[in-house]
Amino acid sequence: MSPRRHLLTAGAVWVVLSILGIILVEQLQIMPVIASREAEIENRAFVILTAASVPVLLFVVVGLVYTALRFRASKESATDQMRDGPAIHGHLGTQAAWLIVSLVLVLGLFGYGALGLVEIRGAQTADFEVQVNAEQWAWHYKYANGVISSELHIPVDRRVHLILKSDDVIHSFWVPAFGVKQDVVPGHPTQIYTTATHSGTFPGMCAELCGLGHTGMTTTAIVSDQAALDAWLSQQQPPPSPEASGS
Amino acid sequence: MIATRVITAARTFAPRSRSFVPRPGLTRAILGALIGFAIGGGLAVELNAEPGQMLALVYVFGLLGFLTGVGAFRFWLTWAVGREIDASEEHAAHGRAGEWQRYFRFTTDHKVIGVQYLVTAFVLFFTAGTAAMFMRFELAQPGIATNKELYNTIMSTHGAMMITVALVSIVGGLGNYLVPIMIGARDMAFPKANALSYWMLPLAILLVAINPFLGGFDSGWTAYPPLSQQANLGQQAYLMAFITVGVSSILSAINFLVTVFRMRAPGMSLMRMPIFVWALTVTAALALIATSVVAAAFTMLLFDRLMGTAFFRASRGGDVILFQHLFWFYSHPAVYIMALPGLGAILEVVPVFARKPLFAYPLAVLSFISIGVMSFMVWAHHMFVSGMAEFFHIPIMLTTELISVPTGIVFLSALGTIWMGRIHFRVPMLWVFGFIWAFLIGGITGVFLADVPTDIALSDTAFVVAHFHYTIVGGTIFGLFAGTYYWFPKITGRMYSERLGKLHFWWFTLAFNATFIPMFWLGIEGMRRRVADYPAEFGPVNLFISFAAFNIALSVGVFAINMFRSWKSGPVAESNPWRAHTLEWQIASPPPIQNFDEIPTVSANPYQYGSPAATAAAEGGSAS
Repeated sequence: MSPRRHLLTAGAVWVVLSILGIILVEQLQIMPVIASREAEIENRAFVILTAASVPVLLFVVVGLVYTALRFRASKESATDQMRDGPAIHGHLGTQAAWLIVSLVLVLGLFGYGALGLVEIRGAQTADFEVQVNAEQWAWHYKYANGVISSELHIPVDRRVHLILKSDDVIHSFWVPAFGVKQDVVPGHPTQIYTTATHSGTFPGMCAELCGLGHTGMTTTAIVSDQAALDAWLSQQQPPPSPEASGS
Repeated sequence: MIATRVITAARTFAPRSRSFVPRPGLTRAILGALIGFAIGGGLAVELNAEPGQMLALVYVFGLLGFLTGVGAFRFWLTWAVGREIDASEEHAAHGRAGEWQRYFRFTTDHKVIGVQYLVTAFVLFFTAGTAAMFMRFELAQPGIATNKELYNTIMSTHGAMMITVALVSIVGGLGNYLVPIMIGARDMAFPKANALSYWMLPLAILLVAINPFLGGFDSGWTAYPPLSQQANLGQQAYLMAFITVGVSSILSAINFLVTVFRMRAPGMSLMRMPIFVWALTVTAALALIATSVVAAAFTMLLFDRLMGTAFFRASRGGDVILFQHLFWFYSHPAVYIMALPGLGAILEVVPVFARKPLFAYPLAVLSFISIGVMSFMVWAHHMFVSGMAEFFHIPIMLTTELISVPTGIVFLSALGTIWMGRIHFRVPMLWVFGFIWAFLIGGITGVFLADVPTDIALSDTAFVVAHFHYTIVGGTIFGLFAGTYYWFPKITGRMYSERLGKLHFWWFTLAFNATFIPMFWLGIEGMRRRVADYPAEFGPVNLFISFAAFNIALSVGVFAINMFRSWKSGPVAESNPWRAHTLEWQIASPPPIQNFDEIPTVSANPYQYGSPAATAAAEGGSAS
């Protein structure tokens, strides 16, 4: 077979497989639970990146498999065993095309990622604020009216602002269903915004190794509508403030 | 001058067995270390030191005693007191061919040092692998089977040791052995500094290995403060050991750079150097520039622990994120310090077994250099959720995506070479194919971690664990295996067993993929990394992963048996069994002490497959 025929055959296999692959992954929901606006953006990014990976992956795999099948030195013929392949040191067109395609692909992914980042961060305004305190090895949530709870309560369809604080070591606040993860850094409060889109109870955890109890440093996020949340907040007793107990 | 010569010559024949002090060697090194320990310990008691300060004193004096005992300083000390070195002593330090004791001495022959590095790296690899088996035992079922504290310690030790394996195995082992021969030199530029850089390692490695007896450490190899400030003495042991490895690696980097730039044979222009030498040159430049930064960060951390400074203590105005910047400013280039030698070894093997010139050699060289330069601009992609300055995310995302362009050239070169070639599927070539697959998966999954929106979901999960095992095992360990099989006949003069080699390859590759592919899924599903326990729903997949991981260990056992048996009693190898064109294959196997009787002259790059005249040119100046 001529070099051109080899290229055309392998190329055709690659194109067909790539199209099939992209059709397949396009349907996927990659993140297991999507319960916030941020998680939706992330899942979309997952799908796009996976679709973009398919042709890249297949290009190399088809090249490898085709080579392994078609370009083996024949074991039967002793002269073939000793013969060298063609003395091709390079091909300017191929090299230029490779560089240009990979550069365009990479810049495209960067552009998409940058837009996604801006979208995911969103505006710095919120309807509801909670202060999250992490310590070895527990989570505490403090609300505007002074109530403190051990699970996070937030309203559905409202933009929530979380301010994260730690006094001992670095922790990381992660609720997979919300697609938010942020380290909690001693001496340097951090913050995130999220908008839950579904009511329900979602697991959360510490994602940064923080010592012996790291594995067990889990928490729960409870999303309910604003009325139920207000009712819950007014039921809770804020802890007595130091001034009140001191007088 | 002449008189001195005569005296030294006379001294050579004097009987030397009367000395009470053992000759420089392991015995004297251990004795020296013990004396050092005693001095350090005595000083600590005298100064009323805390346990941490005591450990530091004992280690520093012990290391100095060990190095003095092994003979690392004796030539420099002789110079320092103004005496001339006894030529016969210097000659003896170079070792005699066929003498096994030279491997346990301060020997200055680069080939001996290469073997020392390589064997040490494999011993460390087996040890750290055993630690991984312990982790997979704990993780095989949900719940706690052993104990959380031990798990954290073993996990951290596994990381610390494997990082060392990845840093030194190819550079120190294959690099030391082959670079001087491949450029047509008789040794490295600084043979004594070369031996010193090796002999700094044993005590440091021992210190990491015994950290569980010092209370262990639970911060992982990344050692983020404040966790690493409150951790046990084992933490300090790791920090001191890592600084030692760093000093050793800076020393060896200088040596490589000077060797490559000053000691090439006539005609060996930069663009005729084998690609493996190019890879190691860029690696050495990276190690030289970056390592001091992490050594500084770890030293600051040690000062925080031992001397009451507050570089990283938030309560006293320190900054914990500063540590992460310093740490990753080294540790991301370090990823390339690990991967580039692997890529170099792979690209060295490809043309030989495809019987075709290396495709786009100049572009591959350029890509190695660009990887080296760009690797300094991407460190903060490890910190997308760390709380670093918000504006920094976008430029770092851009540079991280861009570095995949030069990295992708490796695939262009490998694919371009095998395409239309005459492929011989000997064991080294199998590892090349395994490498391309594994490094490809590592690269593609890296894009998901470079993209901030998906990284927010994936950071600190099992996905990251799977990704870096695909890049570092895929890049470094597959390259190490390819190179070890490929150069085994040259180093030992014997042939490995092809049958066992193939078994090792298929078993390892299948088990490796079966271990880490499911971890991508686990990470997306929300399983964290660095945890001893997980929700019950992940149980069956983790059991499967543990089963596959034990198979990796078994396959490595096949490798060990193959290497051991073949080295001892394998069939004698020809000097050039692969019909390769690089210089190391034009001399005897194993190479004579001085490598070349006559320094060769080089007239083309070593990838002239398919052009008969050029083969003769490459072999023309050979020593045989």
